[in-house]
Amino acid sequence: MKTVLSLSVNGTTRDDVIPDNMLLVDYLRENIGLTGTKVGCDGGECGACTVLINDRPRHSCLTLAVTCQGARIETVDGLSRDNRLSALQRGFDEKLGAQCGFCTPGMIMASEALLRANPKPDEAAIRNALAANICRCTGYVKIIEAVQFAAEIANEIADEALAS
Amino acid sequence: MEFMPQMQMHQPTSVEDAVSLHGAAPDGRYLAGGSDLLVNIRRGIEQPDSLVYVNNIPEMRAITETSDQITIGGAVTLRELSGNSAVAEHFAAVAQAAGEVAGPSHREYGTVGGNLCLDTRCVFYNQSEWWRAANNYCLKYRGEICHVAPGGKKCFAAFSGDVAPALLLFDAEVEIAGPDGRRRMPLADLYRNDGMDHLTLRPGELLVAIHVAKLTTSISSAPIASAYAKSRIRGSIDFPLAGVAVAMAVAGGKITDLRIALTGVSPLPFLAKGMDDFIGREGDETCLEEIRDKIRTQAKAMKTTTTPPHYRRRVAGALAQKLAASIF
Amino acid sequence: MSTSEQDIIPVQSIGVPKPLVDGPEKTTGKAMFAADFQSIEALVGRILRSPHAHANIIRIDTSKAEALPGVKAVVTEADCSDSYGVLPIAMNEWALARGRVRYRGEPVAAVAAINVATAQAALDLIEVTYEELPAYFTAADARADDALDLHQEKPGNIEREVDFDLGDVDQGMAAADLIREVDVRCAEVCQVQMEPHAAYAEYDPGRERLTIRPSTQVPFYVHKMLSRTMGMADSHIRVIKPHIGGGFGSRTETLQSDLIAGLLARKARGTVRVVLSREETFITHRGRPESHIKMKVGMKADGTITATDFSVVQRGGAYSGYGIVTILYAGSMIFGLYDISSVRFKGFRVLTNTPPCGAFRGHGTVKTRFAFEGLIDDMATELGLDPFAVRRANLLVAPTMTENDLLVNSYGLDQCLDWAEAASAWKVRKGKMGPNKGLGMACSHYISGASKPKHWTGEPHATIHLRVDWDASITLLTGAAEIGQGSSTVMAQCVAETLGVDMSRIRVIASDSAVTPKDNGSYSSRVTFMVGNASIDAAQNLKATLVAAAARKLEIAPEDVECLGEVFRGGQQDQGLSFDEVVMEALKGEGTITVKGTYDTIPESWGGKKYRGAAIGGTMAFSYAAQVVEVTVDPYTAEITVDKVWVAHDCGRALNPLAVEGQVQGSVWMGMGQAMSEETQYHEGLLLHANMLDYRVPTIIESPPIEVGIIEANDPHGPFGAKEAGEGSLSSFLPALTNAVADAMGVRATDLPLTPDKLLELLEKKARDIKASGRAA
Repeated sequence: MKTVLSLSVNGTTRDDVIPDNMLLVDYLRENIGLTGTKVGCDGGECGACTVLINDRPRHSCLTLAVTCQGARIETVDGLSRDNRLSALQRGFDEKLGAQCGFCTPGMIMASEALLRANPKPDEAAIRNALAANICRCTGYVKIIEAVQFAAEIANEIADEALAS
Repeated sequence: MEFMPQMQMHQPTSVEDAVSLHGAAPDGRYLAGGSDLLVNIRRGIEQPDSLVYVNNIPEMRAITETSDQITIGGAVTLRELSGNSAVAEHFAAVAQAAGEVAGPSHREYGTVGGNLCLDTRCVFYNQSEWWRAANNYCLKYRGEICHVAPGGKKCFAAFSGDVAPALLLFDAEVEIAGPDGRRRMPLADLYRNDGMDHLTLRPGELLVAIHVAKLTTSISSAPIASAYAKSRIRGSIDFPLAGVAVAMAVAGGKITDLRIALTGVSPLPFLAKGMDDFIGREGDETCLEEIRDKIRTQAKAMKTTTTPPHYRRRVAGALAQKLAASIF
Repeated sequence: MSTSEQDIIPVQSIGVPKPLVDGPEKTTGKAMFAADFQSIEALVGRILRSPHAHANIIRIDTSKAEALPGVKAVVTEADCSDSYGVLPIAMNEWALARGRVRYRGEPVAAVAAINVATAQAALDLIEVTYEELPAYFTAADARADDALDLHQEKPGNIEREVDFDLGDVDQGMAAADLIREVDVRCAEVCQVQMEPHAAYAEYDPGRERLTIRPSTQVPFYVHKMLSRTMGMADSHIRVIKPHIGGGFGSRTETLQSDLIAGLLARKARGTVRVVLSREETFITHRGRPESHIKMKVGMKADGTITATDFSVVQRGGAYSGYGIVTILYAGSMIFGLYDISSVRFKGFRVLTNTPPCGAFRGHGTVKTRFAFEGLIDDMATELGLDPFAVRRANLLVAPTMTENDLLVNSYGLDQCLDWAEAASAWKVRKGKMGPNKGLGMACSHYISGASKPKHWTGEPHATIHLRVDWDASITLLTGAAEIGQGSSTVMAQCVAETLGVDMSRIRVIASDSAVTPKDNGSYSSRVTFMVGNASIDAAQNLKATLVAAAARKLEIAPEDVECLGEVFRGGQQDQGLSFDEVVMEALKGEGTITVKGTYDTIPESWGGKKYRGAAIGGTMAFSYAAQVVEVTVDPYTAEITVDKVWVAHDCGRALNPLAVEGQVQGSVWMGMGQAMSEETQYHEGLLLHANMLDYRVPTIIESPPIEVGIIEANDPHGPFGAKEAGEGSLSSFLPALTNAVADAMGVRATDLPLTPDKLLELLEKKARDIKASGRAA
């Protein structure tokens, strides 16, 4: 009933012994202390726990950790590179896409998946990509603006990273 | 007020291994995406002692196209299905329905097999263990009474998968693997009209794939167009209050073929009866209203959702009317 | 350093868009919410809840649970020293039910154990014997003559009956050219803040001290209720507010989970984490009550309102909570928006066997506003008046005092109307929208904090401490609860602006009772107004200290010191002193600088005495809003699409236009949820909606673009003229939506939420009526 889970979390390879019934969100939050990922509902209804598995968004509250064997997991805790906010982290901050901040980790990860697949999304694409993520503060208006802003500055940040 | 029970996980890479692992632990369950099953496990509705994870089985992960048919692996995700160009070309309603399931993140891991085998739903059933205990449980699970229709002995929990009605339009077949080997049957035969036990799968059986024959034209050689629409209060995430799939061919301004399938309004998805009556009709307002009325009478939604059944019946008809109008 | 005047200007922090001071924590996942605290020894706290809606508790036997290995504590009402509540006059709730349970899901016992499975197993071992009682799930049933009283001290299950009759309603009705009535029902709604309730409690057994991190908007109230419930000295409790995942009023009172965490930690003599499920968070409730409103309005042919006569019945749930205040607001807040003087009101707050209601964003005002704005819209149509014109016919002129003695010092509703009308191109588009499309509008307002605190102690309304030490950073200490609304940012802005320094000099430490001054909390939109003013006061005091030091160093008189924020100098020719140099001078002989700022409301704002409870509604300033909603209705399915919203909000000076926009958009959108999809539903008192599928918070798909017009009718008492921004534009969405649907489809919706099933019924009824009248003709 226990398994050695070998995977990569935010770029770091790990091996952990975990019970088979452990949800990915509990593994991340309770076992390895990455509390950036949030739990807002009792299963798949709010999107706050969204993480990336091999670049795609997924509810970590409805994913058994043992099924992530060999996978590349990314959470909001690992998005900043070299102590710089990612484009989306800046966008959600500067454009007020985050008010209380509880849906924000899931929103940012769902948006991250979108921008990796579609670096220049139009508004409809943003809405469709975030349609499983509930926010209770913003009415979504500034979340859309935050993603648009992030898409604009993403290239800028990439250029700077190359230069440095 | 929930937690995950102790379970053992198996991750086979072949259908045969999956079936034999399941056979060794009959109280287990097959797990694909988990977007429905894991919620039910957390709520104590399902209490398997083991899970057989089928998403690592290559055969179940593929969509293959031949000249006359398309085969969809049971563990193909809804996102893959909705984005598949061959499916969209030949079975537009199927691609649309897959794209309408829940929300985008759910479709990333929710599978077509899972959507076809989705447990039936009811507001008296999809609740926590504390809730159901406080309500003396229900007919579908651990209880003696149905809160939807007290006094009756029938469970009305509604099948709420979006993809099934779209596949029913095209006479899809499902390939099943089990302890006795593989078998194929029409998708329609996968279901029975019983909310407590709506699937005809035998113990240990696994839905491996769906086969759909290409039907580029109807009997009259007119091209068949199809579409799916669902009613829900919000624009995303929600299960269908009623889901309607329509396939229609029109030649010379007249209907030459019409099929309509429904979901969300009864314990099983089903093809509506009497649609042949419309063959030869012109798509005028009267005809569309008759289609609406005919669907409405067959959509026998019960009080299984917080939205009143009255509306779900009417909106099923309205969606049929709207989709038929859009195809004309 | 250059000394030319042009290049030394104080930094402007007010009136410019500012990201939140705690934004990066939230976007990087570093922000710690209550459920994020953990330690290896933390126990899991779980709550046993009543399966019954109304029952006497005959016996609770916890012995088997206590004997289960891994169980560290079991608590019941026997561990509680007293009841609790939010209003001093109505504290009738217990952290764990005492003697009787009054709603399904009410906490009865709780356990702390080494893990979830053990905690759950322990709950299953607690034996409770109940004697079931008749239960009442509607206000009407609870008010029936033969109904059993939920609380002995509340006969007839009436929490509070409110009556007032101001001006001359009968004469007003007699003077009207048109009198119309409406009967309105609005479903109960719930805040559904994204973070489920949680509390992390650490008990220090050596010192008998409790430290707790609760998810609350009101750390001070939680502190008071912990000491009351636990029978502990206030001084032995420390309440630290972590990051809060929204509130919207659900956390403006102490919740059982906060108290239970404290009780369990003490009994276990350790650390306990209580994290509620979403279902339990729904059960905890404190949302907006189901309301039934009957309203009659008299109007002159020119749109002037001559009289208003209305009643409100609220289904309040099983305990008092904020109920008395909610029903008082439902009456008093008819005033303050328009120039009306003759109003008769009858209100009933009813106790029922459902989870307790509370204070939801727009507290008490929303459903009354919905009824009124829909009714006058229909009357305008009947009189051939434009909806904007009928509002303009009833504008107030500030400064004024309303008939129920509410102070109105600033009033931007006229400008809000102008903006919304122009931005939506109302004049050219209204009436020409084409089939199934419509435009509707409505107005609303809200208070900038209740002027009289619930707990009257004689203390100032708000207190701020500023501390400056050798590193020349400014530490702002506040008890005000940052819950995502941006209160910490507003305070930093107020201090930075007053001093002329950059906001980066300021570090805000919010809500740690061991460190920060007391604050009543984040509710009734009080923080910007009250705490903002206290921040300005504190900054002015700090500035005086720094100017005195600069004068000493520059050897000039303090009045000759020019403070340019980062530079203090004697005049244009003077090289001047940097901020750091001034701080070093100020520390000489004094040590660390600590200054205080306070704010108090003026007695004129305390509301009146014309009827019992007339103080409720009293505020220093009202915000105003007008909005236009554009809809398209699907004629097949009766689904409504909100295409766009234009909303003007008068928040006085917009301290942070970015945050104002965010608050206004959030308010309008929350109004949309209530208007279109959200409602609680019960099956014999059992929540049918206790998850985020059946309780339908709107998704991004159906959420419209919301264009915000900021109107700045500055208030003379507001911080830099500011008023509230986070609540006032919620309630006008509801009537603007139904007015737009009326415009599009010719039907009047009076039952919210206006889900497609209800609209379809209205459309079918209209079709039947047309058919019938056709036959008759």
